[in-house]
Amino acid sequence: MYQGVTMADFSVDVVVVGGGATGVGVARDAAMRGLDVVLLERADLAQGTTGRYHGLLHSGGRYVVSDPESARECAQENAIVTRIHADAVEQTGGLFVVTPEDSEDYADGFLAAAHAATVPAEEISVSQALAREPRLNPGIKRAFAVFDGTVDGWQMVWGAAESAREHGATILSYHRLTRIHRENGRVVGVSCHDVKNDRELSIDCRFVINAAGAWAGQVAAMAGCHDVQVVPGRGIMIAMNHRLVNTVVNRCIRPADGDILVPVHTVSIIGTTDVKAPDPDRLAIPRAEVQQMLDAGEALVPGFREARAVHAWSGARPLVKDTRVAAGDTRHMSRGMAVIDHRERDGLAGLFSISGGKLTTYRLMAQRIVDEMCAQMGEQRACTTADEAVPAAVGSPTYRVTHRLAEREQAWQRDQIVCECELMSRSAFVDLLAAEPLATLDDLRRRLRIGMGPCQGGFCSTRAAGLLCSQGQTDAPTATIELREFLKHRWIGLWPILAGAQVRQNALDEWIARGTLDIDHAPGQADPPERFPIGAPRHDGQPAGSEQKAEVA
Amino acid sequence: MRDVVVVGAGLTGLVASIRLRRAGLEVTLVHQGIGGLQLGQGTIDVLGYRPERVARPLDELADFLAAQERQGGPSHPYAVTGPEAITEGVGFLSQLVGPQLLVGDVHTNVALPTAIGALRPTSLYQPSMADGLVSLDPAEPGALHAGCRVVVVGIDELKDFPAQLIAGNLAATDLPDGGRLSTRAAQVSFPARGSEVDSTGLNIARALDDPARRSEFARVLSAVVEPGETVALPAVLGIEDARAFPELRAQLGTALFEIPLPPPGVPGMRINEKLTRIARAERVEIISGSALTGITAEADRVSEVIVATSGHDTHIPARAVLLAPGGFESGALRLDSYQQLSEPILDLPVARPSGELINDSWAREQPLFRAGLATDTDMVVLDPRTGGPVHRNLHAAGGILAGAQRWDEKSGEGIALASAMRACEAIVARCEEKDHD
Repeated sequence: MYQGVTMADFSVDVVVVGGGATGVGVARDAAMRGLDVVLLERADLAQGTTGRYHGLLHSGGRYVVSDPESARECAQENAIVTRIHADAVEQTGGLFVVTPEDSEDYADGFLAAAHAATVPAEEISVSQALAREPRLNPGIKRAFAVFDGTVDGWQMVWGAAESAREHGATILSYHRLTRIHRENGRVVGVSCHDVKNDRELSIDCRFVINAAGAWAGQVAAMAGCHDVQVVPGRGIMIAMNHRLVNTVVNRCIRPADGDILVPVHTVSIIGTTDVKAPDPDRLAIPRAEVQQMLDAGEALVPGFREARAVHAWSGARPLVKDTRVAAGDTRHMSRGMAVIDHRERDGLAGLFSISGGKLTTYRLMAQRIVDEMCAQMGEQRACTTADEAVPAAVGSPTYRVTHRLAEREQAWQRDQIVCECELMSRSAFVDLLAAEPLATLDDLRRRLRIGMGPCQGGFCSTRAAGLLCSQGQTDAPTATIELREFLKHRWIGLWPILAGAQVRQNALDEWIARGTLDIDHAPGQADPPERFPIGAPRHDGQPAGSEQKAEVA
Repeated sequence: MRDVVVVGAGLTGLVASIRLRRAGLEVTLVHQGIGGLQLGQGTIDVLGYRPERVARPLDELADFLAAQERQGGPSHPYAVTGPEAITEGVGFLSQLVGPQLLVGDVHTNVALPTAIGALRPTSLYQPSMADGLVSLDPAEPGALHAGCRVVVVGIDELKDFPAQLIAGNLAATDLPDGGRLSTRAAQVSFPARGSEVDSTGLNIARALDDPARRSEFARVLSAVVEPGETVALPAVLGIEDARAFPELRAQLGTALFEIPLPPPGVPGMRINEKLTRIARAERVEIISGSALTGITAEADRVSEVIVATSGHDTHIPARAVLLAPGGFESGALRLDSYQQLSEPILDLPVARPSGELINDSWAREQPLFRAGLATDTDMVVLDPRTGGPVHRNLHAAGGILAGAQRWDEKSGEGIALASAMRACEAIVARCEEKDHD
């Protein structure tokens, strides 16, 4: 039982649970309004749904017919996110195309709907579209240009987290919430486990914002608020090893499976499916859905199947199914976003559960929920998140895929390349390791993209393990275990799509790792268990945290 | 009309071409890439794990093959070639390249440190690796044994040789004699060209072909080596000049050994160079940079091989064909996006293990890599559905053969050499038969 007299490690206004786009957005927003904030994330920032999507920054075009209000919000937030996260956003532009398999009915109403929703769009000729994207299906019947972009979810979330820190927030990744404490019908604090240092922390607070997405039901239950039903909607995505297109290409149909191809960094990503999943910690990448995505790719870019799939992953959209959601209250909330005020639902003040929404509108969702919280606090604090760029974006142009090449041209006589596929330099790796001494190779990957290119770590992972040793982060057997864990995690997203040239690559990678280096017989466990397992143990006794780690290439 | 067209210039294709030429046949060697020797570690593996570590590969072969047989699936190549072909092939290669390039004993495995500090079993190794030899027989300690002091020296400009990782793992490994090594890591700077900071092993090896640069390197090394230490270095000690290693060792005045790196692997390239020179000297006709695109068959025989040479197809009439193009790593076997297996150039039937080809476990073996071509004991390609030959004069050897997990077993070179011997024997016999007709 919580003891109010115990000295807490922190005493703050708000604890935010969940380090995805929504949670970090809330932490940043609240901190910028002068509130004391701690954010708890059980794993790495943006390791959940935010890191497992296709990277689209919506223009709003996708929703002009089905949900004009949502479309309008997207169009507005697209401009804001592009401004405040310039380093994470690439202004690729987007196309909506009618493929030979699609009827033109939807397209007939597209421009008028876009106009009504104030989403900029224009129809261009098929030959203009083909000139812009030469690999597009030459049989397309119509094409509309919109302002879709792409955004690196990790970069965006780390940027927002850095901004929140500058405004005084404490961002604690690898801190798992263990309890929510209540007294007299109010939330008064939380306890959490510091996973990497294996210790407990307690935090006093006035409010808890549950931004755990697909896991929000589990978090609410810790406060004694049961039956918050969040059904994970699993979607798979596949990264192809080139930018088959340089523009986001959408099928101009009602939103459906396999209707979008997104160029992100050095790859292009085809997405996605939507299947209800029982457990967001165990998301499969079924072969049938892989085949479905490859066929969808063929419709947009003929010969798609001959291109090289390098990685696949599965993400969990949170779908809140709760009859007691204050669903009518859409004036205050963003579209697609579900908010539960547990004061109304469960008689527990100081707890909000927030779920759903879109990455594009993460800032707006955060603004709305912090507005609501401030109203309950009885305080007038204005939102400033749209006015100030995050630190990494200050003075930065928007992202271009050639950025690293430009940096490399400056540094080639000073710095080694550790990961050739992603042009990641030795100094980038060593500097981040010095700043984040507890980071795993996967944590570093999410920040630096090491091992995410065509060779999937075949050459660079051993170098990275070597740097863990030479920089004094860990001893050799532990670095070897880290190396195996990294390759094991790469394999989760490789084996379901392994075909064509990627098989050839994998054979070479195997030859190097197992053949030449004999990794299976180096010190340390040959098949190491997860060091930081996530979710409930599996029925077969294996620790959890393997399936769910499939994430962006 | 050529007697034989050999396709592929890896260990299999080069050794087979020379072998066939020495039997008096007219041989054309066609290859597209630069052969698989530079992909590997540059030693000769026969059988390293079954899955326990193997000390006496030929003595343990029968037990290994019995276990493979129980597992089912396509026959292991060694079950097809038999053990004599291994001895013959390794012996032939040893004679070809001589003790300047390969030493050791086909009957006895030794363990050599890898570039992450594992102890890797192999049969024959390069003399430049001998000071790093760990004996698998506790009764006969090798150059490295309990209590030996090893300094692993990394080169700042070479990123594929993590000295601390290697030294740390070597020190954490129990040797077969029960003891451990005493290791430390050191670092030197030695840019291959000018002041470059990112050098490949190959470029450093080329630099060390130059005697002046060798002396410079020896001076740099001597500053970090303490008396009585064995020096472990990346395998970059010269590529063309066979004097590079012995001179460096003499100048340094201490035990010194090379550890192979990920590709491009200099030790493998040394063997490749040597074999290619022999093949040219013995007038094997070599058509480089040219892909096999097809064959013409008459009745049950291949009559000619079609090769894409510059600007046109070249038709090469031949009495026999030996396919030695490597496996999945060379693109000679293919799995398409519908998960269909094929041999993509001639569409030969592929033998495959039953069940799922790829599974979700990184640590377990992937059955896919057991897929390949099935052959009879003459290495004639068989249709696994009928058991009969596809063409009576179409042979296959090396990495394209079904039934092995070469990287896990550490068996790649042994399979290459044994199957090359069997194929050569059959091709020579057939050509002699024809001559008597």
